[in-house]
Amino acid sequence: MRLTTKSVLLGLPVLFGAALAAPAQDMSEAPRVNELEARLNVDSTLFNATIDEEPSDDMLELGRLVAMGGAENGGSGMACVTCHGANGQGDGAGVFPRLAGLPGWYMYKQLEDYAEGTRPNRIMTGIAQRLTEDEREAVASYYAVVEAPWPGPQAAAPISGDQLQWGGQLAAVGSAEQGIPGCVNCHGPNGTGNPPSVPYLAGQYAEYMSHQLQLWREGTRQNDAMGVMETIASKMTDEDMRAVSAYYARVRPGLESVTPPAPMDDGEVAEIETETSDLLSDVD
Amino acid sequence: MAARTLPKTDVVIVGAGWTGLAVAKELSAEGQRCVILERGDYRHDAENFGGPEEHDELKYARHKGHMIDTPTKTLSFRNNTSETALPMRRLGSFLPGKGLGGAGIHWNGQLWRPLPSDLNMRTHYTERYGAEILDGMQVQDYGVSYEELEPHFDFFERVCGTAGQAGNVNGEQNDAGNIFEGPRSSEYPNPPMKHSPPQKIFRDTAASMGYHPFPMPSANVTAPYENPYGAQLHPCTYCGFCERFGCGYFAKADPIICIYDTFAEEDPIEIRYRSHVLRVEKSEDGQTATGVTYLDQNGEEVFQPADTVCLNSYALWNVHLMLVSGLGTPYDPETGEGTVGRNYAYQTIAAAGVFFNDEVWSNPFMGAGAMGMTIDDFNGDNFDHTDLGFVGGGYISANQTNGRPINYQPTPPGTPSWGAEWKQAVRENYLHHIGIVCHGSSMPVQGNYLDLDPTYTDDYGQPLLRMTFNFPENDRRMSEYLVGKAEEIARNMDNVRAVSTVNRAAEGDNYSIVPYQTTHNTGGAVMGTDPSTSVVNRYGQMWDHHNVFVFGACLFPQNLGYNPTGPLMGLAYWTIDALKNDYLQNPRPLMDA
Repeated sequence: MRLTTKSVLLGLPVLFGAALAAPAQDMSEAPRVNELEARLNVDSTLFNATIDEEPSDDMLELGRLVAMGGAENGGSGMACVTCHGANGQGDGAGVFPRLAGLPGWYMYKQLEDYAEGTRPNRIMTGIAQRLTEDEREAVASYYAVVEAPWPGPQAAAPISGDQLQWGGQLAAVGSAEQGIPGCVNCHGPNGTGNPPSVPYLAGQYAEYMSHQLQLWREGTRQNDAMGVMETIASKMTDEDMRAVSAYYARVRPGLESVTPPAPMDDGEVAEIETETSDLLSDVD
Repeated sequence: MAARTLPKTDVVIVGAGWTGLAVAKELSAEGQRCVILERGDYRHDAENFGGPEEHDELKYARHKGHMIDTPTKTLSFRNNTSETALPMRRLGSFLPGKGLGGAGIHWNGQLWRPLPSDLNMRTHYTERYGAEILDGMQVQDYGVSYEELEPHFDFFERVCGTAGQAGNVNGEQNDAGNIFEGPRSSEYPNPPMKHSPPQKIFRDTAASMGYHPFPMPSANVTAPYENPYGAQLHPCTYCGFCERFGCGYFAKADPIICIYDTFAEEDPIEIRYRSHVLRVEKSEDGQTATGVTYLDQNGEEVFQPADTVCLNSYALWNVHLMLVSGLGTPYDPETGEGTVGRNYAYQTIAAAGVFFNDEVWSNPFMGAGAMGMTIDDFNGDNFDHTDLGFVGGGYISANQTNGRPINYQPTPPGTPSWGAEWKQAVRENYLHHIGIVCHGSSMPVQGNYLDLDPTYTDDYGQPLLRMTFNFPENDRRMSEYLVGKAEEIARNMDNVRAVSTVNRAAEGDNYSIVPYQTTHNTGGAVMGTDPSTSVVNRYGQMWDHHNVFVFGACLFPQNLGYNPTGPLMGLAYWTIDALKNDYLQNPRPLMDA
């Protein structure tokens, strides 16, 4: 089903708006505001969600409303949940990234940049321009707090073991020959991001990520602080972009993967749940 | 003589740091076969310096993972000739490097040029004040002028993609830059770094006091950049891990990404790692060197013959190599004769710490090695030294290099050094503090020098280098003066609740090799135009052995008020120019002794 959606979208880009109606619009997935507030008791979640001030229940309520399409100026007639889902799970088609748990400030800045044109996008630019300042902040905070299931490595498109190995190498140490710094320099160990400004890569859809790398390389997207991503992408081949994106699509998102394992009774260290098994499950 | 002699090469280069790699890059382009002998290992920014692993303060800043290990190479130290020197068993005051890129890997990227009057210091001071102002000091001219070096300073700034604001382009002054600098042939290749609120307050306060603040020139690159060799550098992310760390972001210019990476497969360059050079061998008549003897990676002693020998190791180790090889004549502090080891100098470091109230946020975790706002009003001879009782000076700079958790715990004067009160003070001040560093020059005097230790030997059976050094009275007075100026600026800044000061060259305190100060050891193999007071001529060529060329800060007749990398690389490209365009066509002494 997912692949079908993808082929429709890529084949008929003009019909984006129409095709968007299909994916998840299940409002029952949208968490209640009191659930979101409870999550803010975790310091890291609170930091991740804070843009200017700590999100209040009113702000989360507004963010939830905006996500559902209830914007003051009517949004663009499209609710975030239409494509990104109420829980921010997104869709692997290449244009709908996973938003759940991205840093709030990062998402807020993307909305600003969509609106101002440093990250031009046919769909998002219009939406962002019609959101008020408060709505941008609120909806960014909302998606920073929500949690979404991860489709897992089996949902990512197949890739050869060699390519995956190369992608993992680019992620971890980059390439001395090509002068590419490793992603982990900024995006953190296991690609879990570095709030408030650096998004996670772990668990992001491969098609979305490689598409963004291409946009950085061609200079369409130029909205990071000092042109770091443009410089890095300019040194990457299409193959590099596919490989590193395929790698990160197979890495479990979230910060729990860096939590140290609890010691077991006999003094042995408990088996660490890593992405390794996930990685291998889809190698053809 | 070594057991095995290798095939002869055109040029042998001792050390794969900034100067060694530059020599190989430039001379190989002339068809010269270059062999580089490097004591350490291969390493690369991508594979070895990437975060988050690199951002391990304990491993790299405290345990000094990228530096020379003292069991491999160290020296002995004493303050004066009446003491017995003891070996330095742990790094402290200065941190020589090891491995590909050398100390150029863990520098901060503060990239300066000397003032024109720094280079002819004796002539300049004598003309302006009379020769007696230099009494008791062995201050000398470099023998090469700012105008001659300018194209080479300019080139190295472009190799590094230096970020800064010019204050003088072809004589046209710009108040936004350093108005005291010598005329530059071009603007900096990249715009200056961004600055934090305390640095802007420093800038405004200094300007209101009649000084001339400007952004510190930085080899932490501020925009995507391609250098003249074709290397691609990336913009700095202000991660705060420059000094003592390598840069995995490709943002701090270093010898690996700026030079090594641009070596082509077909370039006649060979780097041999884990090669510990023991001595330079001389011809029977002693007029030239025949090559170098080293321990290869298997521990076997081998001889590498070469037509030209380039000494490109750390300033101190170049001098050591000359002494153990019998190159030149060792300096004797009693008689003042001999030149190798003469005019060793260091750097005076003092600082004012500024503690703001909650109105001013520094957020020190956002920093960079050369993120500084600086005044040069009290450097070199930019100010009138009449009746001050000292010569030289230094820059005064509000620097925000890092907010790392182990080392960066600023507390105002009067805070206990441990316990609940200390913790509370760290909490209150961590985000509201900046240091104003006074980075001062150092003058050579008869009793400060380098020679071979009579007692201690290293693992290779060679006597250790012995350092005899204490801050000269001139430098103490100068440092006191500078820190007074820094404190005055600090006290004039708004929202300041406390100011602390520290002066490593304070009156009454001996120089100590224990607390870190700077890795700016200079002199010992100084350049000049008089063979009785210099080891090499104005081209960096040894007076006594014309096919030996010497590089690095060991050439400085006295230390500048600036960080040495920019000046020494200007000198390196000057020497390379003489090799390429003159010496190699007709090997001979380039100056008459």
